[in-house]
Amino acid sequence: MKARAYAAFTVNALQTRLTYRHTIWAGAFGDLVFIFARIAIWVSVYGAAGAASAANGVTLPEMITYSLLAGPLLYWDYSRLLADVGTAIRSGDVAVYLLKPLHYPAYLAASHLGHFLFELAASTVPVAVIILLVFGLQPPASLFHGLAFLAYWPLSFMILFTLATLLGLAAFWLMTVQSLDWFFNAIMTLLSGGMVPLWFFPGWLAAIAGHLPFAWISYYPAAVYLGKLEPGQTLLYFGIGLVWLAVLLASLAWLWSRARDRLIVQGG
Amino acid sequence: MSAIIEVSGVAKTFRQPKRLPGMGGALRSLFSRQFTEVRAVQDVSFTIAPGEAVGYLGPNGAGKSTMIKMMTGILVPSAGTLSVLGREPHAHRMTNAAEIGVVFGQRSQLWWDLPVRDSFDLHRHIYEVPEARFAENLAFLTSMLGMADYLDRPVRQLSLGQRMRAEIAMALLHDPKILFLDEPTIGLDVVAKDAVRKFLARINRERGTTIILTTHDLQDIEEICPRLIMVDDGKLLFDGELPRLRSALGSRRRLRLEFGTDPGPINLTTARLVTDDGAAKHFLLDSEDTSILDVLTELGNGYDLKDVTLEEPAIEEVIRTFYQSKPQLAATTP
Repeated sequence: MKARAYAAFTVNALQTRLTYRHTIWAGAFGDLVFIFARIAIWVSVYGAAGAASAANGVTLPEMITYSLLAGPLLYWDYSRLLADVGTAIRSGDVAVYLLKPLHYPAYLAASHLGHFLFELAASTVPVAVIILLVFGLQPPASLFHGLAFLAYWPLSFMILFTLATLLGLAAFWLMTVQSLDWFFNAIMTLLSGGMVPLWFFPGWLAAIAGHLPFAWISYYPAAVYLGKLEPGQTLLYFGIGLVWLAVLLASLAWLWSRARDRLIVQGG
Repeated sequence: MSAIIEVSGVAKTFRQPKRLPGMGGALRSLFSRQFTEVRAVQDVSFTIAPGEAVGYLGPNGAGKSTMIKMMTGILVPSAGTLSVLGREPHAHRMTNAAEIGVVFGQRSQLWWDLPVRDSFDLHRHIYEVPEARFAENLAFLTSMLGMADYLDRPVRQLSLGQRMRAEIAMALLHDPKILFLDEPTIGLDVVAKDAVRKFLARINRERGTTIILTTHDLQDIEEICPRLIMVDDGKLLFDGELPRLRSALGSRRRLRLEFGTDPGPINLTTARLVTDDGAAKHFLLDSEDTSILDVLTELGNGYDLKDVTLEEPAIEEVIRTFYQSKPQLAATTP
């Protein structure tokens, strides 16, 4: 693989975003409003239950930290990725990528890592600083949990990337993914724990959601950070997450080869 | 010389879902899908030797782009065999891609928001061009195409002519053995067209890069490509050199004789009278071998001849008559 080329795509996406850096203010402000709204919900829930109460052994400061991690940090906005894939397919520009000695999904991953890093630096980190100053944030539960979070994070990125790209490739057959995106986003926000952590779910739903790949996007990384998983469990679920990632990557490779065949056999 | 591209009996048929009109039709096509077969390319064969420059000419919808897409490996032929640099292009997409350069007149390959230079740099990484070679090529292409003053401008700010030159330069940065161009001069003004043509002719001559270009602009062919492949309705109509097309068509030169006074009717065996305006007479020279001198000798000295003009048929006209009559002289491989 041409590691240099793919690294260049990441840098490039970053550079491109810097060209349009003024647009980040709207995004950062939106993130800030959104996270304040979520925190407000938890504050009122905990307020009603009594100041020092801990629901399911989780305290309000932990919930505030969870909101930040599971929200803007881990459940990043993949709409740009969907739009990129959709446009490339509809306009036929995807042929341009087939003309180059490149693997298109790998190109997408590299360039969207660039977009993610830009948003991390320009939006998520400033928002986190504001939350830290206004509400305070929890450190990782332990050094182990902190390190484990750093391992879960790229896993979460790749799972969300793969799911979103799979959805984007559906455009090859459907030509529009908007309604699908709407449905998918609703399901995923719920099942990933991006809005409400799985420990507040009814037992049966938590059991199902906890074994679907979505949970590795937001819930497990944030729960690990907060020390809600034992070290043994942390490792076990990391392993399961890797298996899910492998399954998803294999599906992506399969769907991409189908899409490519369709393109080169039928001419899109 | 062994062929760099071999196309034999290639056909491409697309299956398009038939859309029935109206709401009822839209609903029906949800359940039962009917397909129409579109035959974009039918039984086309030709070979191209290294270093050739070939113009692939045809009206809109003649299957030119489909052929280019098959040769670049992004479409699979429905029938026939196709080999580029000894490989089946779609089965070896990556290796094939590394050795060819492709320019689409209607589709940009540059990164829209980045300066031209950055797009080039990305290209260097994708094709793993050694740094020294890249610098050398960049310097050569920049000066040849006059890109020095806009190399650092973002692509979205370029004029079409500037962008097209950058597209062509990018396609050549990795020293491709074959350069495919799909309508490279479309939409360009006269000056830009001229610059592009001169450049392509030079690249072909000096670097020996094989060039295959599709166009409907005949001047592209005249200035770049000694060899011409003409297609229509997906079928090969003509393959050969331009002068051969003229003679194959029997395209005639037109001779105009102007006299001081009306000499009355003149009948010649070397030239055929077509219009007679009295003092000015137009003849057609049916044979390529007939020279002006032959005609004048036959005419003799007895006339008050004032002026003689001989017109070569314009290539546009040759081709127009060609397509209008659609003669079945096809598949004459050289």
